[in-house]
Amino acid sequence: MSPRLSVVLLALTLAACGSSDPEGPGPTPDSGTVDAGTGDAGVPDAGEPDAGMDAGTLDAGVLDAGPVDAGPPLAIPNVLSGFGLFTGSPADGGLVPVEGNVPYTLSTVLFSDYAVKSRTLYIPPGKTAHYAPVDALDLPVGTLITKTFAFPADLRKPDQDVRFIETRVLVRQPSGWEAWPYVWNPAQTEADLATGSRARDVTFIDLEGETRSFRYSVPSKNQCQQCHHLVDEKGDQVMHPIGVKARYLHRTNTYGGVERDQLEYLASLGKLDGLPAQAELPKAPDAFDPQSANLDTRARTYLDINCAHCHNPKGTAGITSQLFLNFDNTSLFSLGECKRPGSAGAGVGGEFDIVPGNHAESILWYRLHTEESGKMMPQIGRTIHHAEGAQLIADWIDSMPAKTCK
Amino acid sequence: MPRLQWTRATRATVLALVGALSLTACSDDDDNTPDSGVKVDAGTNTDAGTNTDAGSDAGSVDTGIPWDGGSAGTFSCEGKAQAMLNFAPGQEEALQDQVNTMAECTTINLAAGTYTFDNAITIRQNGITLVGAGKGTKGEGTGGASSTVLVFTNAAANSNGLDVVGNLFTVSDLAVWNAKKDAIRVESSIDVVMRRVRTEWAEADKESNGKYGLYPVKSKYVLIDECEAYNAADAGIYVGQTEYAVVRNSVAKQNVAGIEIENTKYAYVLGNTAQDNTTGLVVFDLPGNPIMGTDIRVKNNTITGNNRHNFASVAASSSTVSQVPAGTGTFMLASRRVELTGNTWGNNNTVDVAVLSGLTIEDDVALWAAGGFNFASSDVYIHGNTFQGGSGDNVDNGNLSPQLRPLGAALAALYTYGETQGAKGVEHLVWDGVDPYGHARTELNPINICFADNTLPSGTVNAIADLDLVAAGAAAATGNFAGGWALTRHYPASKAEFNCSGFSPALTIGDFIKP
Repeated sequence: MSPRLSVVLLALTLAACGSSDPEGPGPTPDSGTVDAGTGDAGVPDAGEPDAGMDAGTLDAGVLDAGPVDAGPPLAIPNVLSGFGLFTGSPADGGLVPVEGNVPYTLSTVLFSDYAVKSRTLYIPPGKTAHYAPVDALDLPVGTLITKTFAFPADLRKPDQDVRFIETRVLVRQPSGWEAWPYVWNPAQTEADLATGSRARDVTFIDLEGETRSFRYSVPSKNQCQQCHHLVDEKGDQVMHPIGVKARYLHRTNTYGGVERDQLEYLASLGKLDGLPAQAELPKAPDAFDPQSANLDTRARTYLDINCAHCHNPKGTAGITSQLFLNFDNTSLFSLGECKRPGSAGAGVGGEFDIVPGNHAESILWYRLHTEESGKMMPQIGRTIHHAEGAQLIADWIDSMPAKTCK
Repeated sequence: MPRLQWTRATRATVLALVGALSLTACSDDDDNTPDSGVKVDAGTNTDAGTNTDAGSDAGSVDTGIPWDGGSAGTFSCEGKAQAMLNFAPGQEEALQDQVNTMAECTTINLAAGTYTFDNAITIRQNGITLVGAGKGTKGEGTGGASSTVLVFTNAAANSNGLDVVGNLFTVSDLAVWNAKKDAIRVESSIDVVMRRVRTEWAEADKESNGKYGLYPVKSKYVLIDECEAYNAADAGIYVGQTEYAVVRNSVAKQNVAGIEIENTKYAYVLGNTAQDNTTGLVVFDLPGNPIMGTDIRVKNNTITGNNRHNFASVAASSSTVSQVPAGTGTFMLASRRVELTGNTWGNNNTVDVAVLSGLTIEDDVALWAAGGFNFASSDVYIHGNTFQGGSGDNVDNGNLSPQLRPLGAALAALYTYGETQGAKGVEHLVWDGVDPYGHARTELNPINICFADNTLPSGTVNAIADLDLVAAGAAAATGNFAGGWALTRHYPASKAEFNCSGFSPALTIGDFIKP
């Protein structure tokens, strides 16, 4: 693709989008002009200003674009600020969501190398999400979900000396979801679109006071599909968000100094309809708060959010392995109990996914515990292991009545 | 010079070896015996000695799609814009960015030299061609003036080299070095060509090497041509869960398995060299897999000297190849409608060709249901090959492990006694004797293995063994070695029941391939 042409087009597109949406955090018109140099590889111009990003759709009718969702997809800016979702930057002490870009947190952790994460949900003006009891909320075209990954120098002081690494943006286009990774620059003033993978050296002091150093891997755009996908009726992989499910969102957060239930807050903004009464709302506990639920529920919750986006009947890993870790799977066998893996590969600690009462011989635990390439799970998204998560699953397996698998 | 000297093994050692065999699952009183009500193969009184086998696999045989190794799917780049991207060493980051946004039908040209990556090159687009300046030669971890080497030594854990989902994908003239997992993984794709590609890990015999070199899986119409694969901790060249695959003119050395054809329908393995692996060529089905492997033609390959010790990870492993004894030329398990012709075997310490039932690795028949209960091996036609000799006289290189490689231990135990009875080593063709259809033992070749018109070393007495492994193993396990050996059968190449002419209908895969 030609960098220059794409920048020009981008600027035009963004201007059109911005003007159509004066109330929202419309992308700023000049955002596309900051060329982060990502495209200057000396690649000859193939004559296609739009070689690939949207397969011919980027340049369709952008000059007269009406509402963002009227047909043409949202153009993807080269820099995160191009979305207009935040003011400030980590460099000036803040990355503040603009009004309408609603921060939210999940009730239990989705582990990524101990990164501290912040999430926002932007639903465009005039649009509403629909409640879903189990699957992700049904989010309208134009929705933007952001997730920012950062590492404090010391996990025990999570608000101090925080280094931002990447912000991933999920974009609900007319054709479906797209994932776009942005990597923060060393000055922490801007995050640049980085569709290819990036690696960053990370060092932090963990909760035990130990210094941890590793090479953090920012997934490529295409790699996002490895986690964010489900197989549809035709057998095609379709992108889906993971965390924005009612059971994880049903918890309080502080908005304007007031504690609100996140789901109810979205509904009060007119951004969510179909919400049932409080008592009927599903709630996933904090997997690491023993007060919030029993061990079984907490372990199942941890597996649900960390594993079940692939290990479910509609995920390719689930389809291949027949290991279903979704919280509402009621089959103990497909949950892994005395189940042999389809083809586990080599040296994964045991013969069965779960040997009740014996975590050390359970492949499920081994996969979470190991940091060895080819053996660890999930396959991407972590380099080091989640000690607390592996311990939770060990405790859970050990709490099951012991059984000999054969 | 024969190395057969197992008589030195003590009786206690042999007893321990056999006693540990994990084959008891096939005993008669086990509920999971294959004929326990499961309709495996309705109507197959398979054809001992005849060439008709209609029925045993009807419905899954190739009906004659004239695939010649070219593209056969529906996706085409004809009439579409075809972009060209050029990169040189140093532009890895830009390359990664472009790979993630490129249009369909893009060609990526990689100039000669060394490219170092932090992560997999992940392609999710149709019609992509990735072409370098040359694959270089074995051991070349850096690109030269006419070779393109993609180095993944310091890439993120758990990443492949190339990770591709896309129809009409071609990769050629480059090398993938030290990938963390698989060097080139192509999944769920139609029309895949890998040509003049080398996959390699720097160190030999390393358990932590990546598992597979060339790894097309769950795909259709795959051509692997003039490729090389070295030092994979599982298989150098693997084709799995695929329909229509050609692997030809390629070289696989120093892997655990050289070339592996798994749960694949219609594969043509032509003119390859598989040497110095633990096992040269493996054809097998695994349980629980929806594709039933069938119609595999193995022609004009050289499968010699595969005596590398098995370095696959074995800690409680479920990896099938970790169980294969060193010195196995060709290993078939749960395989049917396989033709081997024009090949050369020799100097494989354990055996040149072994044919096994899938029940020896998984006895729970229900787990084979997804593939249509595809645990049976049958219809194996071995003709017009050359057996050079030097094979079968040093099972598993003498490094026996009943727990890790039970077949090797069993063979060693049986032939330790057999040597005292005049056996000269393991025959060229060994069948485990596990008959999934439960025929009377008086029927000598119920699964229709044909062994005909092969060239054998001079002085060959017996060429074929039927081990009746379950019964023989059980006898030996009680210390009755004479009884165990008596249950095994050993035949000359001319044995009538094996001197048959294949199966019907004959294979068509390969008939249309242009040289």
